[in-house]
Amino acid sequence: MNEPSATPGWWNAAGRGLWILALALVAGSWWAAAHAPVEVQMGPVQKIVYVHVPSAIVTLIAFGLTFAASIAYLTTRQWRWDAIAAASCELGMVFATVVLITGPLWARSAWNTWWTWEPRLTSFLILWILYAGYHVVRSSLRSVSRRTVSSVLGIVLFVNLPIVWKSVEWWRGSLHPRNVTMTGEMRETLLLSMAAWIVFFAAALMSRLRLEWIREAAAERA
Amino acid sequence: MTLLDVAVKDLRLHARDARFLATLLLFSASVVLILSVAFGPIFREPEGEAAATLWAALFFAGVLGLTRSLDLEGESGGGDAVRLTGADPYAIFLGKTLANFALLATVFALVLPIASIFFDVGDLRTLPTLLGVAALALLGYAAWGTLFAALARGLKARELLLSVLLFPSLVPLWIGAVKCTHSLWASGSIDPVRDWIKVMAVADVLGLALAAFLYELIQEASE
Repeated sequence: MNEPSATPGWWNAAGRGLWILALALVAGSWWAAAHAPVEVQMGPVQKIVYVHVPSAIVTLIAFGLTFAASIAYLTTRQWRWDAIAAASCELGMVFATVVLITGPLWARSAWNTWWTWEPRLTSFLILWILYAGYHVVRSSLRSVSRRTVSSVLGIVLFVNLPIVWKSVEWWRGSLHPRNVTMTGEMRETLLLSMAAWIVFFAAALMSRLRLEWIREAAAERA
Repeated sequence: MTLLDVAVKDLRLHARDARFLATLLLFSASVVLILSVAFGPIFREPEGEAAATLWAALFFAGVLGLTRSLDLEGESGGGDAVRLTGADPYAIFLGKTLANFALLATVFALVLPIASIFFDVGDLRTLPTLLGVAALALLGYAAWGTLFAALARGLKARELLLSVLLFPSLVPLWIGAVKCTHSLWASGSIDPVRDWIKVMAVADVLGLALAAFLYELIQEASE
């Protein structure tokens, strides 16, 4: 197992740079969303899509990264991979929660209900519960077994991601569209929002990993 | 030690604890009773309500069975003893899955007639197909349940955590089992919901395949 140490200077500098870029992009995307055309049928509520869709995509990226890092940990047994898996999963939970909050706000306006047992909503809620379980299990275990058990869970729970992704195609009666078709300013705003949330996720992940790095170094010294 | 030896050992442990088996069966019967009273006395759609009740009772009882298996191993040190024989970890997993499957099948054999009588549904013509559906659903339950039970071994509130992780993972199996049972009792055929058989088969294969790669690692972590 590699020896933990304090984060290198380039890591801290890259993290700060990413935070500046992320905040600029988020501010830009909010400005673009505020000035994007208002959708005729739904009105201003439609602008939730600029938060909802990017958050959902970042959730899938985060849990996908947890899966990849879990495999890497079980293969190499380097603590850094376990730290990446756990940090990415934590951030994934934050974005998944945003999806679950913004979804009903959209649903109330578009479908006239806060919640409906529709395939993607249901599968996403299941995903949220399962990854919440990942954190509870992780926090209940001791150091070495915690890493192995968390990594196994990170792999097993990944099975649900394709189900969420493909749920609108596999099950009839989905209210979610199979493809989001947007043009012009709306499309540009959505793409900018996606870029903003992805960079925001990367910046937050680097900060979270720095904390994990310091924690390991402290544990090593103790 | 072969997978059959492991399965026989686990089943023997269950058979010795008659009080637990009786409690498990009474618990399942109580769930059926409570839900039939809640849905009744005049059922709007007895086939659908009975199917949901039957599988809810089985899935809840299953967690009790899985937790008990874990406790028995912990109390007697049987789990460590089996590992010390040098048996292949996947054979141990398959043996435990087989034992859990047998336990669930026993509960199913008792709960099925109770649900049929309380809701006045089902007939002997559809029984062979229903048994096939049950075998598919319970095999998946046993495989995923054994995998998660092994993961939960060292945890404090393992009954709760097992439920939190297991139930959401079993949703495809649960929906498939309920839909197929409903269709069988309502129309005498599973043709309208045939796709769910494929979903359950995929869930079974996935549970068994994941364990082939991961069960050894879980065992290592719990040592």
